[in-house]
Amino acid sequence: MTSLVLRARAPWTSVTRVRGRLRIGGGLLTFAIITVVALGAPLVAPYGPLEPIGRPFQPPSARTLFGTDDVGHDVFSRVLYGTRQSWASSLVVVLVGVAVGLLIGAVAGLGPRWLDEILMRVTDAFLAIPAILVAIAVAAALGPSLVHALVAISLVWWPYYARIVRGEARALRQRPHVEAAVASGISRHRVVVRHVLPGMASTLVVAASLDIGYVVLTLAGLSFLGLGAAPPTPELGAMAAQGLSYFLTAWWIPIFPALAIAVITFAANVAGDAVAARAGGGR
Amino acid sequence: MISFISRRIAGAGAVCLGLTVVLFILQHMSAVDPVRILVGPSAPQSVVEEARHRLGYDQPLVVQWFHYLQGLVTGNLQTSLRTQRPVTTDLGQYLPASIELALFAIVIATVLALTLGLLTAARKKGSGLFSGGLLALSSAPTFLLALLAVLLFYSTLHWLPATGRISVDNPPTGPTGLLTVDGLLHGRLDATVDAVRHLILPATCLAMLPAVAVGRVLRSSLTTAMGSEYVRTARAKGMSNSRILFRHGLRNSAVTPLSMAGLQLGTLFAGLVIVETVFAWPGIGLYLDQSIPTADFPAIAGTTLLLGVGYVLANTAVDIIQTVLDPRIVR
Repeated sequence: MTSLVLRARAPWTSVTRVRGRLRIGGGLLTFAIITVVALGAPLVAPYGPLEPIGRPFQPPSARTLFGTDDVGHDVFSRVLYGTRQSWASSLVVVLVGVAVGLLIGAVAGLGPRWLDEILMRVTDAFLAIPAILVAIAVAAALGPSLVHALVAISLVWWPYYARIVRGEARALRQRPHVEAAVASGISRHRVVVRHVLPGMASTLVVAASLDIGYVVLTLAGLSFLGLGAAPPTPELGAMAAQGLSYFLTAWWIPIFPALAIAVITFAANVAGDAVAARAGGGR
Repeated sequence: MISFISRRIAGAGAVCLGLTVVLFILQHMSAVDPVRILVGPSAPQSVVEEARHRLGYDQPLVVQWFHYLQGLVTGNLQTSLRTQRPVTTDLGQYLPASIELALFAIVIATVLALTLGLLTAARKKGSGLFSGGLLALSSAPTFLLALLAVLLFYSTLHWLPATGRISVDNPPTGPTGLLTVDGLLHGRLDATVDAVRHLILPATCLAMLPAVAVGRVLRSSLTTAMGSEYVRTARAKGMSNSRILFRHGLRNSAVTPLSMAGLQLGTLFAGLVIVETVFAWPGIGLYLDQSIPTADFPAIAGTTLLLGVGYVLANTAVDIIQTVLDPRIVR
């Protein structure tokens, strides 16, 4: 079946494939660079994120690549530190979302019918309200801080994964190898951990890698609204918001942090596509 | 059909009720004591306790939630801690500006999504460049688009205004609150034109993310529809390409993009808050943004509830429209 489909597409696949490879290669390279920058921010950044290094409002120059902000911080160094923070935060949100979603989805998919019914109604209710707005309300109620922003987004991020895991668990339960495992009389716990969970790993990895870019954007939005870490902390969204009041005279203060978010998101999206394509057998 | 629709509406009601529970719990968790804010920081403890009792904040949570719900039904969203006015009054004042902006954004997003979907599905020349550009734009945070738009069209080219809704003297007031419509109703063409000029930049920035999301879904469902047998039959009959695309392709691939459009309303609402902040647009998004630094939770909860209920209602409507478009959906 697969070969038939591939042959039918033959005339243009070679061209798109080369272009696709280039795009994926470029995306993965950007992704790798961002990861290196994120890990090595203290080594790469020319200055500390909180030390004033000269006069405020200096335009970009050879000494300060992205100029200086209203306090005289080096915007370039702050963007590097902000990238690191944004990267780590998004990973945390996705990991928490996957973990909670895995737990709830697996219990719903493998547990008794009534529990499935209750858990999935709650999940659907969460999916039916706009996640970002609820995250704003949660972060506002808890008070602005990075941890609260992460809690707020994680709180609305798991339902997506719970739905995926539940569907996968239901499907896997019917598969012969799981039925055989159950029939052989091994413990329920062992069936789940050894035979069901490994089966959904690739689906989850694909879903999570496609999701990271979206998390980066959402976190940046919360931090732009002042719901992230307190002001001097180098946070990309917050830096863009602080630069708003004087951006007609000093455009570099908000634009570079905002551009950094766009680059991270774009790289994450392309890398996610690459992971998905790989897992899907080149589809 | 009727039972499906009533089930859908009951579900929407349950979700809205759930949203009030979430907001109520959050309000209770909020670090700010509303009673303390109302009586002032220097009031003695006895006055605080007296006010707490008078306002019902010392009653069991379930009773308080019930009172909160009772208030909601009568349109009472509590009093804003910042403006000291009822949240309902505040929202009523700022809502028309947001509705106008959102409607313009929806129109622009629809045009962009259709263009993206149709161009790429029809494989017109240059469609790759167009969709590539849109994809790159969709990775950008909304505030970057807004900032770049202001830098380019306001401060460099001086084509369009960057802040507010209108800049003519004595703008028309009422009856709709939508300045473009009111201008027409009062025969003030200058006001309408000025209002549209103010709308272009924020509405386009707001439209970008949802447009790309819907356009991508439309493209894939259009591509599937265009490869189907009835399209081949239509081609064999000698039907023109554009007629096939619009009459057969678009009609049969509308269902999935439509539900995506409903979901993207959440993105649009979140973008509304950010775009209104950048463009100083006097709507409920700016109101929400200004309520955050003062921890004005009644205002935040009121805005969230309004947008959340709007989202749920819109998606319920989408579901019902879909069953009309494609009766097979009713289970």
